[in-house]
Amino acid sequence: MDLFNNLIFGFSEALSLQNLLYCFIGVLVGTLIGVLPGIGPLGTIAILLPITYGVPPVAAMIMLAGIYYGAQYGGSTTAILVNLPGETSAVVTCIDGHQMAQQGRAGPALAIAAIGSFFAGTVGTLLIALFGPPLADVALKFGAPEYFSLMLMGLVAAAVLAQGDMVKSIAMVVMGLLLGIIGTDVNSGVQRFSFGFFELTDGIGFIVVAVGVFAIGEIVSNLGEAQERRVLANKVSHLFPTLQDLKKSWGPILRGTGIGCFFGVLPGTGPSIASFSSYMLEKKVAKNPDEFGRGAIQGVAGPEAANNADAQCKFIPMLTLGLPASGVMALMLGALTIQGIQPGPQVMTQKPELFWGLIASMWIGNLLLVVLNLPLIGLWVKLLQVPYRLLFPAIMAFSAIGVFSVNNSAFEIHLTALFGVLGFIWMRLGFPLAPMLLGFVLGPMMEEYLRRAMLMSGGDPSVFITRPISLAFIIATILILVVMVAPSVRKQREAFTD
Amino acid sequence: MTFRSLLVKTAGVLLALTTAAAAQQYPTKPIRLIIPFPPGGSNDVVGRLIATQLSERLGQQIVVDNRSGAGGVVGTELASHAPKDGYTLLVISIAHAVNPWLYDLKGRYDPLKSFTPVAILASGPNVMVVNPGVQAKTVKELIALAKKSPGKVGWASAGVGSFQHLGGALFELQAGVKFLHVPFKGGGPAMIDVVAGHNQVMFSSLVQTTPQIQSGKLRPLGVGGKKRSAILPDVPTIAEAGVPDYEATNWWGIVAPAGVPQAVVDRLRKEIAAVQTAKPVLDAFAREGADIVQMTQPEFAAYMASEMAKWGKVVKASGMKVQ
Repeated sequence: MDLFNNLIFGFSEALSLQNLLYCFIGVLVGTLIGVLPGIGPLGTIAILLPITYGVPPVAAMIMLAGIYYGAQYGGSTTAILVNLPGETSAVVTCIDGHQMAQQGRAGPALAIAAIGSFFAGTVGTLLIALFGPPLADVALKFGAPEYFSLMLMGLVAAAVLAQGDMVKSIAMVVMGLLLGIIGTDVNSGVQRFSFGFFELTDGIGFIVVAVGVFAIGEIVSNLGEAQERRVLANKVSHLFPTLQDLKKSWGPILRGTGIGCFFGVLPGTGPSIASFSSYMLEKKVAKNPDEFGRGAIQGVAGPEAANNADAQCKFIPMLTLGLPASGVMALMLGALTIQGIQPGPQVMTQKPELFWGLIASMWIGNLLLVVLNLPLIGLWVKLLQVPYRLLFPAIMAFSAIGVFSVNNSAFEIHLTALFGVLGFIWMRLGFPLAPMLLGFVLGPMMEEYLRRAMLMSGGDPSVFITRPISLAFIIATILILVVMVAPSVRKQREAFTD
Repeated sequence: MTFRSLLVKTAGVLLALTTAAAAQQYPTKPIRLIIPFPPGGSNDVVGRLIATQLSERLGQQIVVDNRSGAGGVVGTELASHAPKDGYTLLVISIAHAVNPWLYDLKGRYDPLKSFTPVAILASGPNVMVVNPGVQAKTVKELIALAKKSPGKVGWASAGVGSFQHLGGALFELQAGVKFLHVPFKGGGPAMIDVVAGHNQVMFSSLVQTTPQIQSGKLRPLGVGGKKRSAILPDVPTIAEAGVPDYEATNWWGIVAPAGVPQAVVDRLRKEIAAVQTAKPVLDAFAREGADIVQMTQPEFAAYMASEMAKWGKVVKASGMKVQ
């Protein structure tokens, strides 16, 4: 069997002492930068790129890939422990993960994040090995109309995210959309709401908003009511998930992996959409949706699996077609070019040791991450017992370092502080933060795809229903709407007949 | 000679001696190299490559400082306000000559007067590619196709005001055609769309496009340089292929805040010239599809001015800047 032989070949390549060492270095560095907000894989890989000149191509790629998916891993740790999303994709993990930590269940949260990520990484690796090239061809069928319809479906389904007050949730989605508008318009190059600040012409960074409203906002509101919470945080019941936890989590992990693979294959979807979608789905199918936002383990397991599967599958267009789906992938392609290898479909046949070695190393890297992270859980949980008067300044300092490191810009630290104040006000008034971030992420992308689709069709909106893939998403959107609206309509009718 | 004038002259001589001595010892502390773009772009690749080699020759660390924003304006403005002692340098590219036409720089900096040109480093052409499904096999055939249906041939670019946009806009002007301009956020997504066939043509930098050309996913029609590229010797230049004056080349160089001591510039020029011909740098540039360029200081200054004038016309004629 070809695949079997290829994988054996890949593992023999990846398990050489040198490659194993570079894999370990990669995931270790990745975990570290993942823990810090801001400092992401993009900057790290760019800085480390010159070091890889002297390293053989396979080892270099294994290390760089390790940094990338290691960072996705590390991002969840600070999200759970201190409500600080280390990576963009970890924002969703903040919602329930940090609640679990406050209830003394940080250990199970961290463990389930690691287990879910490992499972998703395994499936993602297999998917690349089995179906990489055909999947990449399918992904190319997605043009602007398809992406728009897909995201429309996502936004409509986002209504499920609403906790409690529907009006407040919608208001926050709109707030996110408005914040997302700031910056340069893609089609015309016009500046929108930048108020003469050149720092705003590229829009507000996601890390700025997320760290501001979550980490800083949380600290400010805790300072107002700290006493009782500190007691809660000190009660650590157990480090590892109970049987009950695992039973609750396997479904979300499976579904999250599926969602993550789907979005990962499509190069035009950014990070965090996979984890948002998984969260929404879990909340919808859960028996007790009320638990969500109050420490539901499903809300950690699903999104973390989705996020890791997404990161893994983002390699498909890069490895099979030589096309960069993101900045990180463009850098990895650059690393290949520097090594004298022309990226593209021919890599698979001409450099099989690179292709299969890298794939095998991804699975080994995921295993290393679990081995690396599980023993650390006890240590991490101890961190929560650090008194707030020491913990808070440390979080503030790391947040500032992280935000600064994205663009080396002090302006963005000021913006983060502003969002900290806004986050505090929103929290106090009971406005949910997650819908705002969803609007902030999805809004600009939807606008971009909508306007590009209209530009290319010459202003004819029928493209959305004449292209089959797009039509399928539109129909799915309508179905979701019907399913959501039906119960409340029925309720009203019952109330009327009563 | 009065005592007073003697004093002034002595002071002048002493001052000249000390600054000369300072310049001779330059550099005595790490140098900050501002790259006004995020990590990973062509400016960053070129800047870091030169920084590594140059710091070995100068015996001082060169700290790369990525300050992106507004197409390079944020980092460039920062560099213009830096002390003029040679310890702050700036990597510039074609964007430096285009930004004054896209952004209102009044009261911020003057792209020519606020900086002392140190050295131009290298240049690399663009390449005009189409999706293989497109009928046109040559530049002339594509022009004919675009003339038959004006504003219908989809042209993907990396965004308004990008090098890809400039190259295409120049082509539109000189060939007298009109494409349907579809801007993206960056060159990667734009290329995916052309490979997938959602759009038909793009004017991309040679280095980023070569892999797709070699695997047959994109068809090259012409390169934008003055002469053919060593990487694609069979592909004609766009000028050869039917648009006589066409040239779209990105270039990279190093400048310092205006008023930096000439001795410092001379030292830097000497070491940069040596770095440019070092084998690792030559190899790296060759792989990137770029050629080493060397000019005297006045030549570099004149080149920047001519590039500003050239692209200013393109920006105005194409209506790239919306008021």
